[in-house]
Amino acid sequence: MWPFDRGGVVLALYIGTLALHAVFVAYVLAGSAFALLRRKDPIAATVLDRLPFMLGCGITAGVAPLLFVQLLHQRRFYTANLLLGPRWFAVVPALIVGFYALYLAKASDRWRRIALVVALACFAFVAWSWSELHELMQADPEWAAFYAAGHRLFTAATIAPRFVIVIGAMATLFVTVAAWSTDTAGRSRLAPIAAVGRVASIAGALWLWHTGFSVEGPAVVWFGILVGAAVVDLAAWTLTWKRPSDLALTVATAAGTAALLSAAVVREAPRVALIETHAQADASGAGYAFVIALVLGTAAIAWVVRQLR
Amino acid sequence: MSVPHYPVNEFGPLMKGMVIGIVGIVHVFLAQFAIGGGMLLWYFERLSQRGKEQDARAFVDGFFPILVLVSFVLGALTGVAIWFTTIAVGARTIGLMIDEFHWLWATEWVCFSVEVVAGYAFYKVGHRLAPKVRLRLLALYSIASWLSLFFINGILSWQLTPSSEPSNVWHGFFNASFWPSLLYRTCVAMALAALAACVVINTMKIERERRAALIRRASRFAAPIAIMPLLAGWYLASIPEDSRSWLLGGSAPMMMFVGVAAGASFLIGAYAVVALLIKRLYIGGATATLLLALALGATGAGEFVREGARKPYTVRNVLYSNSITPDEVAGLRATGVTVDDPYPLRDDARYANDQLRRGAKVERALCDACHTMKGGNALVELTRSWTDDQLRLNISKLQHTKALAQLLRWETQGAPATWPVAPTPPEIAGYLDAAGVK
Repeated sequence: MWPFDRGGVVLALYIGTLALHAVFVAYVLAGSAFALLRRKDPIAATVLDRLPFMLGCGITAGVAPLLFVQLLHQRRFYTANLLLGPRWFAVVPALIVGFYALYLAKASDRWRRIALVVALACFAFVAWSWSELHELMQADPEWAAFYAAGHRLFTAATIAPRFVIVIGAMATLFVTVAAWSTDTAGRSRLAPIAAVGRVASIAGALWLWHTGFSVEGPAVVWFGILVGAAVVDLAAWTLTWKRPSDLALTVATAAGTAALLSAAVVREAPRVALIETHAQADASGAGYAFVIALVLGTAAIAWVVRQLR
Repeated sequence: MSVPHYPVNEFGPLMKGMVIGIVGIVHVFLAQFAIGGGMLLWYFERLSQRGKEQDARAFVDGFFPILVLVSFVLGALTGVAIWFTTIAVGARTIGLMIDEFHWLWATEWVCFSVEVVAGYAFYKVGHRLAPKVRLRLLALYSIASWLSLFFINGILSWQLTPSSEPSNVWHGFFNASFWPSLLYRTCVAMALAALAACVVINTMKIERERRAALIRRASRFAAPIAIMPLLAGWYLASIPEDSRSWLLGGSAPMMMFVGVAAGASFLIGAYAVVALLIKRLYIGGATATLLLALALGATGAGEFVREGARKPYTVRNVLYSNSITPDEVAGLRATGVTVDDPYPLRDDARYANDQLRRGAKVERALCDACHTMKGGNALVELTRSWTDDQLRLNISKLQHTKALAQLLRWETQGAPATWPVAPTPPEIAGYLDAAGVK
């Protein structure tokens, strides 16, 4: 099945772990904005309490796609890293500052607002940087001139629309996670945010299409799934807004998950043909080790989650 | 054979080894602290639950937030920084390691994920969990974090002692220096945790005698430091002979770093064993902090030694520090190292002619991984006193890089180097006579 006939299990793991990473970082970025703008909402206190943990999970989950992208697009990923140079490294101090700002926001009423503004700025910068890197990875005709000029900022017409798509999707994902731990009134308050986020993502997608991004070939099927899932998701959030129920939230979550995974595939579509192959040692035994570790690790995490309840 | 070319960044006066060193040492220190910290907390929790130490529970609840705040945030993010820095310093090296060990790296990621989830869970709800669950959660955290070390250690030790069977990933992983390195790092992790515990215990608002009791318990955890000299000896015996002799006198700076690492570790170990374990003395917060700083110095020196022992390779016999494989050398001597380099110079206009530009590109390709032009380990300083003939013999002749020799002469004297076209037979006979060769 395309695109996994080309990228194999590594591409599947990349997309799966990228989606998992997206859920956590969406909670952090959109959650920070929510806690800042809706300070008096009772949900804000829960969100504020969970933000550092969610960022920890987001960074941990982000290590896996960072690993797999180096197998799929090693040359491009390294080249884009090196071209952006110190400006790319800035994502690390930005994350450190953002992380501690979340702890400060949680601990101090006095500093909460400014800490959340700082955290939000840091996370938005990181999100923008990833969009920038993603575009630069594919811009190989421009690499030599970019390097020679000593530029550190890559500009392309597609970066801003990508950023809008991501921010919109983050709002929807945040609500999808947050709604499960609140009452019906809370879900009703959160639902418009999810719907607006989804509309923003659609607007961003239209903007991206206007800049020249197109979906072709086998990716069209995945795009169809994405459109269908987004429509169902939007309808389910509208229903949750008016008449919140577990069923509507379940449908929204299922549709949101389908939209996230299919969007991740559509995002990869233009570079599936660019996937690299590397001479590798016989790693079959190590592959089994990973599978065993994954099963045991998932069981251990499930046990921990059960203890939390 | 095509050599992959990546854009090259410079870090001002810092040579690349310094950049990776700064990030790497901080990360290793924090990561080892996290590993030892998990084990220490499990030990104290067990003491508490068996009623053997009245303040052990208070210590666990006070120490864990520090572990989370310092190690989970800074430790995890400096781990991400290591990825980016390694790419900046040697993209081809990290690429090779990923190609070879991606599944084991992914396995390490699973362990790290379990560690983070277990750690945060304990941090968040540990106070309201049943004693048995608390102990299990800490055990899970400790095992996961140690397994994380287990997998990373195999990948890192492979760089110096790769397997003679490169086609088998497990031979590479369980390489000659795997076990001594793993056990050594485990001892270091326990010692760091014990020292950090002594700092934290001194901040607890309880009577001095009760703090002293906790310190005695924590000190026991530092006891494995006593076997570190043996493990260091085992490690030295496991590495290639030329690397060993490089560390033990072949290179003066490397020997000094070995001395710093060994000396600092000895001082910490002697204090822990004699003062804390045998004499059962009290250690104040300031002294514990000082010892912890000394441990950071020992970690830094130790990591420097580990990196330096691999020179001139990043993966022994597989990849040179400048990202060229031994198999590629002959081809590059024939074609030149700059022919396929697609990246122009950023300061192209600065150079007086094309030969100097080519020299700058050669320097970027062959030297930049370990040297800077005028900063740390500067080529200009290393060759300033060389005569033109020395430049010719050491650089142009040996490395077939005449343009680089010209660049260095231009950087130091602003003038071209000059050499006789070729010595005539009588001149050669004259050189031999002067050297006393019949």
